Amino acid sequence: MTWTIFKGMFRKTAITLTRYAFNTGSQIVTFYIVFCLIFFGARALGGAVDMGETLEGILVGYFVWMLAIMAYSDLSWHVANEAQMGTLEQMYLSPAGFHWVNAAYLLSNLIINLIILSILLALMILTTGQRVVLDLVSIVPLLLLTVAPAYGIGMIMGGMALIYKRVQSSFQILQFVFIAFISVPIGRYPLVRFLPLAQGNYLLRQVMIGGARLWELTGSDLLVVMGVAAVYLGLGILIFRRCERVTRSRGLLGQY
Amino acid sequence: MKSTQPDPESQLREPALVVRGLSKTFYRRGGQPVRAAQDISFSVPEGRIVGLLGPNGAGKSTTIKCILGLVEPDEGEVEVFGTDAARHRRQALSMMSAVLEGSRNIYWRLTPRENMEFFCSLQGHEPSQHREYIEQLLELLNLSEAASQPVRELSQGMKQKVSIGCALARRTPLLFLDEPTLGLDVETTYQMRTLLRELATRQHRTVVISSHDMKVVQSVCSRVIIIKDGRVVADDRTENLLELFRRRTYTLELSGELPEEADRRLRSEFDNVDIKVLSHRTELSVEAARSEELYRLVDILREAGMAIEGIAGEQPDLEKAFLQIIADKTFCGQSREATK
Repeated sequence: MTWTIFKGMFRKTAITLTRYAFNTGSQIVTFYIVFCLIFFGARALGGAVDMGETLEGILVGYFVWMLAIMAYSDLSWHVANEAQMGTLEQMYLSPAGFHWVNAAYLLSNLIINLIILSILLALMILTTGQRVVLDLVSIVPLLLLTVAPAYGIGMIMGGMALIYKRVQSSFQILQFVFIAFISVPIGRYPLVRFLPLAQGNYLLRQVMIGGARLWELTGSDLLVVMGVAAVYLGLGILIFRRCERVTRSRGLLGQY
Repeated sequence: MKSTQPDPESQLREPALVVRGLSKTFYRRGGQPVRAAQDISFSVPEGRIVGLLGPNGAGKSTTIKCILGLVEPDEGEVEVFGTDAARHRRQALSMMSAVLEGSRNIYWRLTPRENMEFFCSLQGHEPSQHREYIEQLLELLNLSEAASQPVRELSQGMKQKVSIGCALARRTPLLFLDEPTLGLDVETTYQMRTLLRELATRQHRTVVISSHDMKVVQSVCSRVIIIKDGRVVADDRTENLLELFRRRTYTLELSGELPEEADRRLRSEFDNVDIKVLSHRTELSVEAARSEELYRLVDILREAGMAIEGIAGEQPDLEKAFLQIIADKTFCGQSREATK
């Protein structure tokens, strides 16, 4: 059943993206322009702006940041959008349960986001002339662990969206908070590694810039990235479920 | 005024839906608690179309949403084809679908066919294996020609039909339609009535309709449940409810003047007797509930030597019955006996 739901959801997401082709296209262009501004701005300032220790660091950091933004905004956007369209209740009528419908939606979007980001990454590499190591076996699991906390935060926002419907205004603030998580140097502030994205981004830089393989990373580093992923994701799921109960109890599901 | 006769056919059929003691109170900050549903109990036999009637804010939508699990009830049990909906929510949901009032229920960027395929998959059915059925649905709903057009370009009536199509595409035996004819024109409403009848007769679906459109309810529902202030105040076969209010006003044109004795008998035996003496003829208005009463009226007039030149009667309808039940304060709370 879940596979069928995933296929249906993926097809709907893909169709919607093509019907909103201009929006999809302008999203890619905006991300690219923002990256160019940051990268060339940083180069012009001679490294005064630190989004990593090197220009390659900016490239990796920006890639992680985009995926994180997409990850956390997907769920809350999904909930708010479905509520506005009057289809949220229909999602809850699926015998698979809303959590599986949601998972199918998030997975569909993750795949589409990765495709978009791969195009962007290629564009960024071509534009800047910077080289990164694209060892997919090491990158993909690390990338998933890195963005897992962003999904956790997305779950919390999604839960808020169930109750309050419009939570998009907080998106902007979170975008800047995420930049902080990515750019604070872990070597100087070790406790920062327990914040979302920070440790994952640090390890991804080791893989994509330093050329390290996944199994060459230290066990404690991997343990921290897994722990952070589990804690934030778990917390997100817990809060989302709590919000679901409140929503059903107050009869807010069909309201917008 | 109380409703009443048990439905003998209903007793024979397996219940598709059983609701027992469903209650829900909403607490609003700074406001009075709203008791949207109070001890609501009813059952719906398989393959029947049942109407849920009530004024705005009576608790119809809350009742439906509690049954579907979209709103958590404070108390009560719901069984769907014998399955406890609270304990086995997934199993119960595999047998229920709904078109909910006030919601668009569908994606306006997608076409009717894409919408139906999506909702089919949401129920866990592989759309490729149900393509023929979806095409049949499109045909049944007269949507074949618009099947590949984005929904946003369709008329309100067609959008409503797509919503119903999406609920049907889930292939569940129990279907809830909350205000299915809201905003539809006369022709589309008529098509909808035909469609609903076909659903019950040809596809053996059980349908619960909540509607303000009495004509739709009267023409398609075999049973009607009336909810007022969150309580069931009447639950009976449509014809039985109509029978309760079958007091028709008859107007008779009589030649000559009515004798005093006949006048006295009519006034003592009938309600709302109105006699108008015109030149060389009399116009008599009288309320009669059953055909026997009408025969007795004719007998009285014949015995008085009156010739009846014309007779006219006003047909009862569900709207009048509904309005009388809603207006009658004594009805509220009496129906527990009726619904048992």
